[in-house]
Amino acid sequence: MSTKNISDSTKRLLIEDDGRSDERDVRFATAPYQADFPYERGEEAQVTRREFCNFLGLTSAALFLGSSGFAAKAVIDSRAETTFTPLRINGAETLPLNSALNFKYPGAKDSAILIRTEAGAFRAYSQQCTHLACPVYYEHQQKRLECPCHEGAFDAATGNVLYGPPPRPLDVIELEMRNGELWAVGRKAV
Amino acid sequence: MAERREFNDYERPRSRRSRTGSAAVWQARLIMLVMINVAQLWILAATVDAVLARHYSVLLPLVISSAICFLITLSIIRWWRPTSGKHTSTGYVRPPTDE
Repeated sequence: MSTKNISDSTKRLLIEDDGRSDERDVRFATAPYQADFPYERGEEAQVTRREFCNFLGLTSAALFLGSSGFAAKAVIDSRAETTFTPLRINGAETLPLNSALNFKYPGAKDSAILIRTEAGAFRAYSQQCTHLACPVYYEHQQKRLECPCHEGAFDAATGNVLYGPPPRPLDVIELEMRNGELWAVGRKAV
Repeated sequence: MAERREFNDYERPRSRRSRTGSAAVWQARLIMLVMINVAQLWILAATVDAVLARHYSVLLPLVISSAICFLITLSIIRWWRPTSGKHTSTGYVRPPTDE
């Protein structure tokens, strides 16, 4: 809609207001934004077909760049050699049977989950679901790791997929006992 | 008595039938662009799935497919246009006719 029409309606509203309320000041202050937020429905900006076509073209470019960027980053990351620094898992020794503990490994942003089975053995996995990277949690009654996002589940003993959309098992965190303390020493994709 | 105006090929007004055809072409362009965008969205989702599943072998075909979609989009926006008295469907200036 043209600027003229917008300014016309603003003027009309100012005349109707007649200075009897402080509404006038509000309208004056918001006048520069009337093109985006007009009073009348008819003054709302209409998207032309040409603009919509251009928008779809830009969306197409963005989707292409998104796909290629995501793929490139994944390939580069997969080729980069990762060194794992051993990390002591605090609180592992006092962890009750059939329960879980979260920790960060190998990086400060990589969430992992440590499980102590009913037999007392320790298992640790990356907490990222292999479907769409939601965090999995330990369901102690069923003794499995479940993903709340798309109802996938993993075996707590092996990390293998039990059901749901995940395409591969969870990454396994390698553990070592050193002088009665539990250490994470590496991560392995199955 | 009203004088009847003679138009040459460049300024001839478009008939109702021509306008209807032009609108149909615009509509078809929009529909094709939307469909390509949807396909590219699906390709992006498949790329994310492949990365998380570590199926790296399918990444290149997915990226190539997305590139082809983008090129088709560009060609639709840039070249496939409704015909007019002045331009052909591919955007070239129509040569004047002697008729």
